[in-house]
Amino acid sequence: MPIGTVDRRAPSLFRQGPSLLSQVAFYSALALFLMVADARFKLTEPVRQVVASVLYPVQWLVVQPVALFQQGADYMQSMEQAQAQARAADQRLVQVAQSAHLAEQLLDENLHLRALLALREHLVSPGQAAEVVHDTPDPYTRRVVIDRGQTSGIALGSPVLDANGVLGQVTRVYALRSEVTLLIDRDQAIPVFNPRTGARSVAYGDPSPGGGGNIELRFVPSNADVVEGDLLTTSGVDGVYPAGIPVARVLRVEHRADSAFSRIYCEPMARVQQARHVLVLPPVLAVDDAPTAQAPVAPAAAAKPAAPAAKAAAPAAKPAAPARAVPPKTGEKTATPAPAPAAARARQETAR
Amino acid sequence: MIMPRGQPLLLPVNPVFMGASLVAALAVNMLPLGRVAWMPDLLMMLIAFWSVHQPQRVGMGLAFMFGLCMDVQHSALLGQHALVYCLLVFGAVSMRRRLLWFSLPVQALQMLPLFFMAHAVALVVRMISGGVFPGWSMVIAPLVEALLWPLISMVLLAPQRRAPDADENRPL
Repeated sequence: MPIGTVDRRAPSLFRQGPSLLSQVAFYSALALFLMVADARFKLTEPVRQVVASVLYPVQWLVVQPVALFQQGADYMQSMEQAQAQARAADQRLVQVAQSAHLAEQLLDENLHLRALLALREHLVSPGQAAEVVHDTPDPYTRRVVIDRGQTSGIALGSPVLDANGVLGQVTRVYALRSEVTLLIDRDQAIPVFNPRTGARSVAYGDPSPGGGGNIELRFVPSNADVVEGDLLTTSGVDGVYPAGIPVARVLRVEHRADSAFSRIYCEPMARVQQARHVLVLPPVLAVDDAPTAQAPVAPAAAAKPAAPAAKAAAPAAKPAAPARAVPPKTGEKTATPAPAPAAARARQETAR
Repeated sequence: MIMPRGQPLLLPVNPVFMGASLVAALAVNMLPLGRVAWMPDLLMMLIAFWSVHQPQRVGMGLAFMFGLCMDVQHSALLGQHALVYCLLVFGAVSMRRRLLWFSLPVQALQMLPLFFMAHAVALVVRMISGGVFPGWSMVIAPLVEALLWPLISMVLLAPQRRAPDADENRPL
């Protein structure tokens, strides 16, 4: 038997290192520390950045075959399907052209009216197109990864849209990728506006399968005017999302005897499951006025425990509120912009 | 060394092969296959395997590092996979002397509770930190991992089962 086929080094008798139990205690404590630092204090972002940068080449390599397969599948789509899509697109184009003319006219009219009222013009914020690379595999959250990052100037907290409405918000930015938390994530909240009634409230993500729909309107009193099929749009009081973008449609309203609030299930307008192409806008306050923007946008962006985030959005909204076009009649109502007030307002209304 | 009767003496492991297998498992785990709760964790299986067979070489530190990589890649809570892998190494190393006396299917049966425990720890940690319950299909993951145990044992031990002296008339 040739030498070297059997491990001939004698195992060290004395240098055994720390015992297994002490090792597991040490590493578990370290892991727990990291988890708390990550979940509560956001201290671990640099660690994440470093590890992500190291892993990026491997990740890029791994994504390639899957992307190639997807491209192949797209290419193999039958002729008929393509033609049907073209027809549908033509029809859509006609419809959209009509509304585009109308919108142009209205925009013009609005411009004059605003000038008349000496209000500031609506800012048309420049967006960036991006592509969804993949869903994050973590089954406990609802996030996707897009192919733009710090190098493309993506800011933390930017709203992300798709063709049909709001998709979510950028919650983590790496050098070449960023992570978007979808509206249906449990930690995500978005202030919404019901154009039919003029009521404002806050929608929370609720991905548990029992609910139906994936978004829930909370703290809406039982006697509030919300019916099935109502469209909810962004309200613009948060200083993150531009106003008037479709968010969700009300799916079901349940009145409950045991509580002053009703349960309202909504369905997101955006395709949260299989979004491919998305648009990333800069947060509104960042565009509006830089000095006041920095502080409030970040906490709203982190959108952690939903209620504090919403509370953080309230001060953010206040400096902007006078400047924004508020319908004069609902002025008193809208002066208390976001959610913490929503509960208080509900109480007021029930008192009335 | 006390060994079961009839078990062949294995060649020493090639550390490069060991490292490559772990990195390959990490790469497989990074495949963007979407959000599937029952996806078996290949890296977890390999860490358990190598800590059963080569506890001097695969320690808890290495498992911790791989866990951090998984956390960043999955955008999970930082430290979640690291904790799970460390506990897994602890369990695997403490049961290795008994485990290696059994045949492969029985080994798989004994690894099943360990994998179950690993997934349960992850679930508990995430539910405490306010995650969404991913559904009961996640019970399948440890079952698949235990079923694959004989297969990865055969594949990963194959290089060590080669004949000590090369013979050109013999394929392996």
